[in-house]
Order: sequence, then structure tokens, then C-alpha cells
Amino acid sequence: MPINPSPSRRGFLKASAATTAAVAMPYVITSKALGDAVTPPASDRIVMAGIGLGNMGSGDQQAFLARPDVQYVAVCDVRKKWRDESKARVDEKYGSTDCAALVDFREVLGRDDIDAVHIATPDHWHSIMTIAACRAGKDIYLQKPETLTLREGPLMIQAARRYGRVVSGGSQRVLEDYRPLVDPCWAGELGTITSIDLSVGPRSMACYLPAVATPPEIDWDLWLGPAPWEPYNPGRCDGNFGTGGNSWRSYVDYSGGSLTDWGAHHFGGTIFAAGLLHLQPTTVTWHPASADGTVAAYITLVYPNGVEIHCNRPATLRPTDAKAVVAQADRGITIRGDGTAVAPVPVPAYRGTGGIYGDFIECVKTRERPFRDLELGVNTMTAPHLVAIAQRLERSLEWDRAAQRFMNDEEANRLLDRARREPWTL
Amino acid sequence: MPFDPTTLDGPFTALAAFEWGGDAAPLGVIDAAVVAAHGDAALTADLEKRLGSVISGATSRAAKDYACRKLSMIGTAASVPVLVPLLTDPDESHMARFALERIPAAAAADALRQALGTVRGDLVIGMISSLANRRDAASVKPLAALLGGDATTAAAAASALGRIATADAAAALAAAKIQPGPVADAVIDARLACADAFLAAGNRGSAQAIYESIAARIGDTPTTHRDRVVRIAAQSGILACLDDTVAL
Repeated sequence: MPINPSPSRRGFLKASAATTAAVAMPYVITSKALGDAVTPPASDRIVMAGIGLGNMGSGDQQAFLARPDVQYVAVCDVRKKWRDESKARVDEKYGSTDCAALVDFREVLGRDDIDAVHIATPDHWHSIMTIAACRAGKDIYLQKPETLTLREGPLMIQAARRYGRVVSGGSQRVLEDYRPLVDPCWAGELGTITSIDLSVGPRSMACYLPAVATPPEIDWDLWLGPAPWEPYNPGRCDGNFGTGGNSWRSYVDYSGGSLTDWGAHHFGGTIFAAGLLHLQPTTVTWHPASADGTVAAYITLVYPNGVEIHCNRPATLRPTDAKAVVAQADRGITIRGDGTAVAPVPVPAYRGTGGIYGDFIECVKTRERPFRDLELGVNTMTAPHLVAIAQRLERSLEWDRAAQRFMNDEEANRLLDRARREPWTL
Repeated sequence: MPFDPTTLDGPFTALAAFEWGGDAAPLGVIDAAVVAAHGDAALTADLEKRLGSVISGATSRAAKDYACRKLSMIGTAASVPVLVPLLTDPDESHMARFALERIPAAAAADALRQALGTVRGDLVIGMISSLANRRDAASVKPLAALLGGDATTAAAAASALGRIATADAAAALAAAKIQPGPVADAVIDARLACADAFLAAGNRGSAQAIYESIAARIGDTPTTHRDRVVRIAAQSGILACLDDTVAL
């Protein structure tokens, strides 16, 4: 990928800035720039831009835009509708027309005045944009799921660490929605965690939708980016939350499906509650369906500490040990412990104010790692990615975390990643 | 239960005529056969031959797209000659790489490397990208030669050398004479990637030399945001090299 802005773009931006400065003389320092009791002075605000401003992106934008310590200066989307709507929100907020509306994310990353970006594109763009943003010195709030393939995660983490960037994953539910699981686990009420049953959705599927005339409001080539070229169809690129065939979340070129999309929350909350967030599974066991079809197939992940996560294990196969302690959330998750005495551990909290968004902004200021640091997001996403590959191959696998490869399975290793469409590269 | 190859005749006939929006049910049979081919050399060879025929035949882009995806899972060196002609076709090049990048055989890497000299425009970047993903050490020399090419290609080549991260790759990057700009930025990113790889492998000396070289180039008073970020990377690297308590 041409990860750096082309000379012409960079030159254009610099020339534009110089021209604007010249025309705007004499410079007037406004009261807004100086700040007040609520709004910090401009020099203390985090200058932000958004990339991908459809459904989740608009929510993220509104959360950041509402903060007095954020100055929002640019929106970027390949769709005119999202571009226009998100720019209008910013302009209304500030009472100006200053917010830049851009199509190509490289123009955002080429601006030296931007401190941080939030990214909420379809998943097939996450790794490329994150790595490019790190190289450009931006901090990043990245919507979940952080990765589309297993190979992407370590490269994204390396870029974040190399350039000292704050990169937060975007799953607010991990701490907030799964609290009924988190609290008893971290309080030691279950003893040592032993096993988990987790209901997960299906993985993404191939897309064979027919070609439809491409509307002028979308830059289709840039929407596809590194994904294989396939014809425009609104069902292929709609950003709704469905995974049944009428959104990009349904399709393998752009998403891992419900397994990774909702799974980012579901695995995320479970893994956090069970204290597995720094680990990755070592074995992935494929349990085929029974020959008579009465028992469905399921997957078991085993972590290095022995904890098992059973994904969609049929209820008839689940243990009924009366000694087991069970925390039951309303989301199809059961965590079992052995009931032994375990010292309570304080549950980590967000920094700053304003939930996961405030946590990110606070860390941008302090340079601490955020609650949902990228590495934790990558570890979490490894689990559903492993499940997807085992489901696809219908066999058990062994995962070597250090090597980031499957052991003794060359075919599985083929599925670690995929070729990106030129000119995009990791 | 062994897979009966004769059940594939109909689905492959359907695949040969497949267009986006068409009936995808026959493709599901082929999907299942590809999974069932694990450990079944005869079925694998049969499927590979059938998929190759789809690619070589007068079939649609959608059919070739599908066949390349399946060959990416089961293809061997035998598929390389079938895929190579697609590499120069702007419509098909990516999907040919989709397969070749994943085929472990050396012949696949050879084909991608040779294509560096035969394809044009963005397709060159595609070859570079796939060779980088394969971390193909044999590609260091031809990639280094591209550092002097057009800016987009040179930046991609630099990035690829950073992914390969061998001593030869690091040397090629260090020797590059690039004017300040996007390509120089890509070379620095790649050199930092090499240094990080060396440090992770316990080769502190080589890593430190790169970090110090980059830090010296930036100087103590970086003037741009990008230079400040690079300085952070280089100085952090130097500290990590000097810190014996850092586990490698």
C-alpha cells in the first residue's frame, strides 16, 4: 500500500494551509480558542478526525464531539451520505463550516495538526489504516473487531508499540454489559475458573450477490480497498448490524461475521471476566455433529492455564456438577469455577470520565495504555478467528502463540491471512 | 465417508458458467469437497485439476475468482503454471496472487518474484505485497532494485524489505539513497521494523546500530510531527537494546 500520502496530497495540504494562513491575516485569537470553565484552551484539546462514519462511526463521532477536551476537525468516508452527515454534526457543534470532509484516509493521516483518529470502517480496512496511522504518529480509537485475520494483529501491535501510540479497541461492552459476569469472577466467588460455555453466532460467508449499478455517492474502489474486486451491490456494503446476508458484516472479504462482530463483545466480556485477556488459546478442538444429526457440532478452546471455552456446546453435553459455581449472564454465557478460595482482585476501571471514549482521551493525554489496549483486543479476537478456521476446515488445531502459526497443519496456516488487492499492503 | 468425485461433475459444469448473482448452491458442493480433500491426495489432485480448468477456460471473472479462492486452500506447485498467466491481467492478477501467496511450494514464490519484472503499474505492488507476506528472503535483491523506482513502488518495496527483515534486507535499506519524502519515510519505517525484528531475535548489536543511525539522522530537534514520532521509535529502541532486564 502507498502508506504515506502521495507527494501531491501532502503538498496540497501544506500549500492549502499556507494559503489559508496568508489570507486569514491578521490572526485573531477567539474566546473559544482561549477556553473557559468547561472547555480547555485549544492548545490543550485533542485534535481528532473520524475515518468511517456510518453506523458505529457516527456513534463514536458523537461521543468524541461531545467532549470539551476534543477539537474535531475532519471527517473521512468513501460515502457522500456519511461524509455530509458527519461534517454537518461537527459544523453545527462549532457553529462553523471548518470541518474538512475527505474521501481518502491518507489525507487525514497527512495532516500534522491531527492528534488522534477514530476508525470505524468495515473490518478489512482496520489493519492497514491502523498501521498507517501509527506511522503517521496518530493515536487511534479502533472499532472492534480489531482484526480480520490472525496475521494482522501482531503487525498492528508492533506498529503501535514502535511509534509509542495509544491504540484503544472499541468494545465498550467488555466492561459495561458483562459486569454481572465480571464482578463475581474477579471477586473470587467462583474460585479458580475452570470452564466456560459460550453461545456464538456464525462465521461470515462468501458473497455472490449480483452486480448493481454503482451509485455516484460511493467510491467503490476505495470502499473495497484491499478486498477482492467484486461488483457493487448495496447488500454487500450496507453497514447495518445484520449478518444474514444484507450487510458487509455478513461476508468473508470484509468481516468475520457474527462470530467476530458480536463475538468481539461476547468473547471479549467472557475473556475479561475469566482473566484470560493476556492469553491466547493453545488448542482448538472440533467436535463434529453426531452421525444421526441430533447433536450439533461445537468447538472447544483450551487456554494455557487449562481453562476451556466451549463454543455452542449442546446443552445435553454440559456438566451438571452440583459443586460447580455458575455465573449466568443473560447472553448465553456460563462460567464455572471450582469453588476454591481465591483472593479477590480489583476490577480495572476506565481512566478519565466518559466511559471507554474518556478512557482513550485520558490515555492520549497521559500516554498510558488504555483499558482496551490493542493487544488485549487482538488476544480476544484470536479466539473467534481460531474458531472460524477450525469450523471451516472441520478439524482440530493446535495454535503456537509464539510463532503465530498452527502446528502441523499447513492448510490451516494458509488461512492466517489473505492477499490484499493492489496497491494495498500491510 | 470418502467423497465421491463423480458428484463434482455437475457442480463444476455449473461453476464454469457461474456469474455473480447466479445459483451458488453447486458451489457449496465444491466447498465441501475441498474440506473433504484433507489427507486425500487423489481427491486433492482431482479438485486441483478441475479448478485449474476453470481458470484456464473461457469462464467469467466470478468463476475464476471462486476457483482461485479454492486453489488458495489446496493448490500445489501443479497449479502455478495455471495461475501465472493471470498475474499480468489487471482484472485477475489479485485473485491469482490470492492463490499463489498461500501455496507453500517454492514454485509459487518463484512465480511471484519473476512477475516483478513482467507486470506493470499497481500489479507490481501486488507482487511485492505477496512476497512480503511470504517473507520471501530470496526476494531481497529484486526488491532492493525497486527502491530506485517510482515512489509508490519504492515505498512498497521498502515496506516489504522491512517485513522480510533479514540482514540482507536491512543492509539494502541502509544503502538506499533516497531524498526526503514518502519513500524515505517508508525506508525508515522498514529499517525500524528490521531493528525490532533483530532485537526480538536477541541480536541487540545489529538492532542498536539501526536505531542509532536513525536517531542520528533525525537529530535532537525534530522539526516535524513525523520526525518526532520516528525519534520516539529510535530512542525507545536504543533504550531497549541497552536494558539487559528486557526479556527478548
